[in-house]
Amino acid sequence: MSAAKPADSYVPQPVKLVEVIDETPTIKTLVVQPARPMPFLAGQFVQLTVPGVGEAPFTPSSSPGRPEKLDVTILKTGAVTDRMHEAQAGATLGLRGPFGKGYPVDKLAGKEVLVVGGGVGLAPLRALILALLEDLSPIKRLSIRYGARCVAELLYRGQYDTWTKRDGKVDFTCTIDNPESGWDGRTGVVTTLLKGLDIDKGNCVAFVCGPSIMLKFTTLALEEEGLRPEQIYLSMNRRMSCGMGLCGRCNIGPYYLCKDGPDMNYAKIKDYPNVF
Amino acid sequence: MATYHLSEAAVEKLLRPREGFAPVLLSASAGAVWLDEPDAKACLAALSGPRSPANLKGFFLPAAESVARYGAEGGGAATAVETAVATTVLLGVRACELRAKGYLDAVLADGPFADPTYRRRCRSTLLVSCDCVACADSCCCTLVGGQPFATGGYDLNVTALDDGLLVDVASEAGEKWFGEPKAIGAEPALPEHAARRDKQREATGKRLAEQNAAFTFRAVGAKPAPLPDDADAAWQRFAADCVECGACTNICPTCHCFYLYDQVLGAERFERLRNWDSCLLGSYHRMAGGAHMKLTPRPQLRSRLANRVLHKFTYSPQQYGRLGCVGCGRCIDACLGAIDIRQVVQELER
Repeated sequence: MSAAKPADSYVPQPVKLVEVIDETPTIKTLVVQPARPMPFLAGQFVQLTVPGVGEAPFTPSSSPGRPEKLDVTILKTGAVTDRMHEAQAGATLGLRGPFGKGYPVDKLAGKEVLVVGGGVGLAPLRALILALLEDLSPIKRLSIRYGARCVAELLYRGQYDTWTKRDGKVDFTCTIDNPESGWDGRTGVVTTLLKGLDIDKGNCVAFVCGPSIMLKFTTLALEEEGLRPEQIYLSMNRRMSCGMGLCGRCNIGPYYLCKDGPDMNYAKIKDYPNVF
Repeated sequence: MATYHLSEAAVEKLLRPREGFAPVLLSASAGAVWLDEPDAKACLAALSGPRSPANLKGFFLPAAESVARYGAEGGGAATAVETAVATTVLLGVRACELRAKGYLDAVLADGPFADPTYRRRCRSTLLVSCDCVACADSCCCTLVGGQPFATGGYDLNVTALDDGLLVDVASEAGEKWFGEPKAIGAEPALPEHAARRDKQREATGKRLAEQNAAFTFRAVGAKPAPLPDDADAAWQRFAADCVECGACTNICPTCHCFYLYDQVLGAERFERLRNWDSCLLGSYHRMAGGAHMKLTPRPQLRSRLANRVLHKFTYSPQQYGRLGCVGCGRCIDACLGAIDIRQVVQELER
């Protein structure tokens, strides 16, 4: 990652909101177009600004192969995201970034990749999934496990087939928390999909993203399945302001999640307090 | 470069207003005062007194500062805010504050991302450090590897003697402000001046050792003794006295946490401010989210207090190869709950 020009580091650059996609009753994807393409790595994040209101960190959910237009998938959940959900195509928003390290995609050759998402946590993982789908030849397999609260909240529902049908290497299973009429799929929280995993556990790398409690129980479930902490990457998306390791608030032990993450190897952070 | 002895009359001349320089005197009694009029007496009194309650960081990282303007102005292009600053001459900076400045440089100026206004302010500031001839009861630099006098990192260092000032000119910028020695009546320092300075330094060191005799810990350098995490019951005992006012983080010369705050200036005109923040406040880590979610990783005050102290004594050495506490003791004076960080470390380090 190249360093931002110092003078630009806090300044939101204007981006055009070119499309708003209604994903679920609580989640929208804003497609934004920067003045110049913004190259990023899967897992790196941006700070998206609603002018005069504030900014919030998001990992783009689109493929890093498309730097000229970024998808930002947003759960309506607070002062800033409420305003993002009100934004109409044609509006001008602000963007800073990209920040953080990104997923270690180049270290996955020969590995079985397990992606575990909870709720809107599938958004950052979609960037990883799309990046891997660009060329599946280096990896052995891509298994995706996803859980949402209910059928209506299943994110990117129309796209699951397009991910699996490209190659026999990719499989996808999802679950919703409670039974619903008309749903004949799995029910229960996402950790129920991790029992007796059909994967080569010694050769697997897991990427997990979701709310704090889901990260905790997924980590426990994966350890129970025999994965070592070094094999688990957690999206530690905490409150961040500067995005550059200056403002101090996103630390776990000596790591600033904005700079050293936001996807952290569990082995690095597990012995520090307040991880989950 | 060179060391000079200045009589009170010479100090008066040194402090005469000069274009391009804005001297600020740091004193224990009055805080930070802009010196519009040369006042050698006040200056010598401040330089022979204890450290000022005003810390240095406010000069480089103000409590609130505009860092960006964006919106309709300038055809929609966002711009960084250029802050115009004259060369500020900070008189009476203590050795602990120079160490704190080194810490802030490591965080805000030396990494791949630098804070632009911090860097700009550093470039236009002259650091005139002074030996601590006196010290506050809370001063404890020697517990954390410091000394009550500077050994580097200054433009000029001064020592208040009973017959004037000993001035060590150490940088070109410092030399420029100091000017022609003859013009102000500065005399080359004699060996007996240096001998008196060394004796004073020794005496202050002795006083610090005496007033901190009850504290046996020595937190030094990159590998201090480990402290337990927030599960240890001692944190709760100290947290019981904390009222979450943020005084310790505001007054600390190394605490640098901030948040970016956006506001509306007018029709389609917006501004971004960088404001100090405090890791002890309940709102500090708070994220957006629903009632069923855990919205902060440190909901308990004991965890936030532990995180602050651990950051200074355990994490900073790992992050920056240096302690985050310089032993200035300001947080001890400022704390409404009388929490003494020396006591905290003493009790937890075992």
